[in-house]
Amino acid sequence: MERSRAEPRLSPYGVPQDAPPTDTPHVVVRWIVWLGVLTVITVVMLTLRPQLDKAHVALGFLIVVLGGSAAGGRALGVALAVLAFILFNYLFLTPYYTFIIGDPLDWLVLVAFLTTGVVAAQLLNRAQERAEIARQRAIEVERLAALGSETLNAGRAEDALLAIAEVIRSTIGVDCCEVLVPRGTPPQLTPLTRAGPCSDGAGAPADVTSPWSLAVWVAEKRAVAAERADGTKWIGAGDHSDELLRWPAEDTEIRTLLAPLIVRDRTVGVLRVSNARPFSLDSGREQFLSALSFYAALGVERVQLVAEAERAEAFRQADTLKSALIAGVSHDLRTPLTTIKALAHSLGEAGSPEALAIEEEADRLNRLVADLLDLSRLNAGAMPMRPEINAAEDLVGAALRRVGGAIDPKRIRVTAGRASANGDGNPVLLGQFDFVQSLRALVNLLENADKYSPPDEPIELTVRRVGDRLQFAVADRGPGVEEAEAVRIFEPFYRAPGVPPDAGGAGLGLAIARRLAAEQGGDVEYEARRGGGSVFTLVLPAADSPPNAG
Amino acid sequence: MVTNEETRAPLFAAVDRRVLVIDDEPNIRRVVKDALRPDVSRVLEARSGSEALSIAAAERPDLIVLDLGLPDMDGIEVCRQLRGWTSAPILVLSARDSETEKTALLDAGADDYVTKPFGPAEFRARVRAQLRRAGMSKVPGGDEPLHVGDLTIDLARRTVTRAGSTVHLTPTEWGLLVAFVKSAGKTITHQQLFRAVWGAAHGDAQQYLRVYVAHLRRKIEPDPYEPKYIVTEPGVGYRFEPEG
Repeated sequence: MERSRAEPRLSPYGVPQDAPPTDTPHVVVRWIVWLGVLTVITVVMLTLRPQLDKAHVALGFLIVVLGGSAAGGRALGVALAVLAFILFNYLFLTPYYTFIIGDPLDWLVLVAFLTTGVVAAQLLNRAQERAEIARQRAIEVERLAALGSETLNAGRAEDALLAIAEVIRSTIGVDCCEVLVPRGTPPQLTPLTRAGPCSDGAGAPADVTSPWSLAVWVAEKRAVAAERADGTKWIGAGDHSDELLRWPAEDTEIRTLLAPLIVRDRTVGVLRVSNARPFSLDSGREQFLSALSFYAALGVERVQLVAEAERAEAFRQADTLKSALIAGVSHDLRTPLTTIKALAHSLGEAGSPEALAIEEEADRLNRLVADLLDLSRLNAGAMPMRPEINAAEDLVGAALRRVGGAIDPKRIRVTAGRASANGDGNPVLLGQFDFVQSLRALVNLLENADKYSPPDEPIELTVRRVGDRLQFAVADRGPGVEEAEAVRIFEPFYRAPGVPPDAGGAGLGLAIARRLAAEQGGDVEYEARRGGGSVFTLVLPAADSPPNAG
Repeated sequence: MVTNEETRAPLFAAVDRRVLVIDDEPNIRRVVKDALRPDVSRVLEARSGSEALSIAAAERPDLIVLDLGLPDMDGIEVCRQLRGWTSAPILVLSARDSETEKTALLDAGADDYVTKPFGPAEFRARVRAQLRRAGMSKVPGGDEPLHVGDLTIDLARRTVTRAGSTVHLTPTEWGLLVAFVKSAGKTITHQQLFRAVWGAAHGDAQQYLRVYVAHLRRKIEPDPYEPKYIVTEPGVGYRFEPEG
């Protein structure tokens, strides 16, 4: 609606045949008319010559000169001034019908008349030019306002881009305006949006081959190119010194024009403008095209950003679904385990030794389920991490409590960082880590040590701070790990050679511990223990005390 | 650990206690019922959230055991609606590993949770703690000093003694201890603890909440590596064990 209202005022930018003001036939007619007016005024004043003063004659001619300049421009005004000067001298200054001037003061009158005429013609013309420029600016502003409102009103990014293409098409006055973007693999330039009937590109690939390859060149070289009316090509290449694009000259007869769409120094597509009849670019259209092609580039970028956001949203939803699925599986597996464990426990209390085995196996199955769920969560990137400032001794305490049922608490010796009874022994060691996941990692290390170490040997847990790291070293007196295997022990489902398959766990403990630590900027490291055995160290980021602890 | 001897001895035999078990799995209801038998005179059962709400309103149970993953309602919603009118302890059975969910439940008014699969002994211990809590009418340690292990906590006089000698606490540590004692036997979330001690807005202090707890533990626990009084509930909060 906005656009159709503005349509009639677009004539200066309409197609070339629509008569711009400098058209030749009109100029000739204006000259003839104003020369006629000059003749009529001269004849009238000639008949009244006895009654007329020199000033009256000068004023009469001046009106003709000003009228001529206003209607026909500077050249007509100056020509009329010169002619009137000659007629004034020949017909109205004594002696009549000669160019001789009797009274020397008449020279002053003549020169003053000529100067006034020429200067007035010039001034009038300049004012008209300014008015015309102002009018064009007003049209541009109105156009941009329409474009802005249409692109802002368009709900979808594609609609906004189509609106821009539509404005370019109607402003330049061509049949078709397209925006081509690279798509597919390998990327090919295909129309993203299309305004107007683009007959040549719609369903005839053979016909579009040449402009399309020219479009690829435009996208690569970031320069304007055009196909002339005679089928030859014009290319605006070569000059990369300035950022401005080179456009075809005003007299180039163009059938198809191609311009790169660049935003933030990135080519996002190609603008293709074509018309059945040849068209040309004047300076106004050229300015408009370079401004609007930037809008089109922003439009393309918006379409691409929206597409990316939609893709990211799809991924996020898939992740949410995955987490929900894992939680659901967890619930479904653990509910029957609870029943089995509890019923076996009751039977065990009633004195059935088989029931105890069932309960133990239920616990083992529960650990396996937990391990598999953790691994799948880690692989899916769905493991939530909430790093917070925690005390190292809190983590150790929770880990000892967690393994308390399976490992004799006296077997684990916490050998360092132990506080003295009154609390001011050594400072509380702090770390920045996710408590739950770090607890899982540390428990896995303790269980691993318990599994491989002889029952009468203690497991030593040492806590210390080294630089900006907290270390929880779990040392056992197990068989240790051969050097060649030291890397592989952290792989999922790895089992040390010679270990029977039912030695508990599925070989996931160390793998999960390391992954959990790595997810929060830590690690699990292995080293051989002096005197035999292994030391697995959980490393986590350390943190500092608050400014005023307590 | 609670021994078998203890679990078999009925704790509140003389009192008529009713427990509502909300679970859609008949086998879980059976397991819970078996575990409750020594301590409870009557067990009510509900298969869905809506059924649970109407039974709870009619029967006024003394304890509610709520399983998550009900067919008709979100467990948090059931918890919130129950808490709207009853002060009976709510014990949640949670199968999921999600600590955020447990935290949300406790914040919605649940008193404690047990993670599946659980052993009957562990479950019984939690139930007893809740029943005992509900039976206590006054603030523990308010009127007379509370004795926990070798600790004596006197809230009125604002003193803590350990094996006879005074323990000096900073105001923050004292605030934490009061909050723990007031919700003894109940799992208290980090958020609840923080609000009880600092009030609403103290972003920086919240970050160091666990550090302050570590300092308090060093002063009152015999061994901060194996805390007996202030037990960590990983990812959720703490529980103050009045038994020590």
